[in-house]
Amino acid sequence: MVRGSDVARVFALIVLGAGAAALSNVTASTQRKLAWVGSYPRALDTGAPATTSPPTRLVPTASAPAASVPAAPTSAPAAPPAAFEPDLARDFPPHPGKAAVEISSEAVERLHDRKALFLDARRSSVYAEGHIPGARSLPVWESDIDTRVKALFEEGLDQRAPVVIYCSGGNCEDSHMLAEKLYMVGFDNVLIYKDGFPDWQKRRHPVATGANP
Amino acid sequence: MIAAIPKIVDPPAFAHMIYNYRLVPGGAINAMALLLPWVELLAGIGLILGVWKREAAIVAGLLLLVFLVAIGVNLARGHAVDCGCFDVRSAGKSRDELLLDMRRVLIRDVGLLLLVAQVLAATRTPRWNRP
Repeated sequence: MVRGSDVARVFALIVLGAGAAALSNVTASTQRKLAWVGSYPRALDTGAPATTSPPTRLVPTASAPAASVPAAPTSAPAAPPAAFEPDLARDFPPHPGKAAVEISSEAVERLHDRKALFLDARRSSVYAEGHIPGARSLPVWESDIDTRVKALFEEGLDQRAPVVIYCSGGNCEDSHMLAEKLYMVGFDNVLIYKDGFPDWQKRRHPVATGANP
Repeated sequence: MIAAIPKIVDPPAFAHMIYNYRLVPGGAINAMALLLPWVELLAGIGLILGVWKREAAIVAGLLLLVFLVAIGVNLARGHAVDCGCFDVRSAGKSRDELLLDMRRVLIRDVGLLLLVAQVLAATRTPRWNRP
C-alpha cells in the first residue's frame, strides 16, 4: 500500500533529481550539454528514415534566405566550388524536392576523390577516434549543432554542390537528421553514405584521426 | 547507481538511446535524458544507504517498469535497439544480437522488479502499527 508520505518523498526525490540534472547540464561542456526541449520530428517513426518527404524549409531557395536564417556573407564565392563540375552536376544533380538521397560506396569514393564536402554526423569524440580524411565534424546530437549548421551556411558554399554525410551505417539515422537540418537552410544536394564509416573502414580507405579534418 | 553514471556523464548519448526506442515524443526526449539518470542515481543511493528506502524502491520499481515496457514493446514489434542500460555508446551489434540482448534485459529487469517488491514488502508498516 502506498501512503501519502511515500508519494511526497517520491516527489521530493524527483525534484531533487531535476535540480541535480539542471545543475549538471549548466556546468557541462558543449559536447555534453543538452537543450531541455529537443526537436526530433521522426521520434515516433519506426520505419526507414524518409529521404523523399522533406521537412518544411526555412528558406524557399538557396538564393533567397528567410528572415530566420542569416543571409550569406557578401564575400561568398561567386564561382561554384571545385566539386560541382559538369560531370558531377550530371551524375549528382541537385534534388530540391528531397532532403537527401542515399548513394553507393562507389559514388562516395568518387566524390571523395573529387574533393566534395564530407560531413561526419557522429559524436565529436567518435569523430576524433577516426573519420574520413577531409570530413568536417557536425555532430547532430551535440548542443551546438545548429550553430555549426549556421556557420556552414554562412560560408556561402554553393548549395547545389554535392555534400556527402555519413554516420555509423546500419540503423544510424544521424546522417538523415543532419541532412534535414541542411535542407532546411537551403542545401539542395545532400547525399547520404548509407553504409557509413564502418563500410569506409571495411574497404580499407585511409582514416584520419583527431579533432580536425 | 552504476547504470546511472554513464548516462549522467553523456546526456546526448543517452538521448540518442531514448530516441532509438521510438516511444518518446521528440519534445520530451532531452528532458527525459537529463532527468532520468539522476533520479535513477538518487534511488540507488537511497537503497544502498537505507535512506528513504521505501520511496527509493518505489522510484526504482517505476523506472524498471518503464524500461520493461520500452524493451517489451520494441521486442514485440521486432525493432532491435541498444539497451542503453549500462553503456550509452552503440555496441555495433547485429540485429539478432540486439534482440537476444533485449530478451536477456527483460528477464533481468523482471528479477530486479522482484527485488524491489521484496524491499516494499519488508518496509511496509504493519496494520497494527499504523496511527
